[in-house]
Amino acid sequence: MVTRTERKTRAEQKMETRQRLMDRAVRLFSRRGFARTTTAQIARAAGVSHGAVFMHFGSRDALVRAVAGEIGRAITDRLHELAADRASLRQVLRAHLRCIEEREDLYRNILTELPLLPNDARTAWVGIQSAISTHMAKVVRAEMRAGTLRKMPQALLFNTWIGLVHHYLANRELFAPGASVIARHGRTLTNHFLRLVRSQEEKNR
Amino acid sequence: MSDNTCISCGMPMRTDEEHGGGDANATHCHHCSAPDGTMKSYDDVLAGMSRFMIDSQGVDADAARKMAAGMMAKLPAWKDRG
Repeated sequence: MVTRTERKTRAEQKMETRQRLMDRAVRLFSRRGFARTTTAQIARAAGVSHGAVFMHFGSRDALVRAVAGEIGRAITDRLHELAADRASLRQVLRAHLRCIEEREDLYRNILTELPLLPNDARTAWVGIQSAISTHMAKVVRAEMRAGTLRKMPQALLFNTWIGLVHHYLANRELFAPGASVIARHGRTLTNHFLRLVRSQEEKNR
Repeated sequence: MSDNTCISCGMPMRTDEEHGGGDANATHCHHCSAPDGTMKSYDDVLAGMSRFMIDSQGVDADAARKMAAGMMAKLPAWKDRG
């Protein structure tokens, strides 16, 4: 008979193994990219059998989806907090970049390998970007009402920002070879973007 | 999937107010909630999620609809549907 304590321990062990697989998957996907990382390598790095990957995630696609989901959740949780605290657009942009910088290799690999990632992961990525845009929109609307930002559609404002950031990330070897492109150019990109979207009155202040 | 993720659209529900009808026990979020607090129909949620991607990123309407349907097919409220 299995006691309550033993059942809990097994559940905890299961959670720990799952988390260890996630951690190793993140490390390998960050270092080697998605296409060059196999489930066998992830299992080996986690010190578990190859079958354990499928027992915990069902498929490689589901593991990739979980990794993309986790990074998305980390970013959107932070921006959700800031939007709720009525932060400024500058604070939201800086937090967005900081979240990316903390996992820049992984983020960049998702970005550059996106067309080859499983459908679910690609769709989740679009959902994550929509959530980021929506959190940005909350503070943007407040600043547009206050007259400090130019009025423009949410999608264009977000695409202008994300287009700029993603261009630098995707071409990191051009802008910051061997280093963090966000650490090197983040402040410049934030200042440039804010200059573009600020109202004339605000610029004249 | 966490208990605090909407069973209908997958949105994380971080506060009580984000649950349907402001009820912390509701398994669907305020976006997927009809005026009476019950969960919206499949078609209404599909339209809402498509609109979310269109407004936030300017996604093409058909592409948004396809992605929304793909997301919903994985979620507890709709995964057994057809």
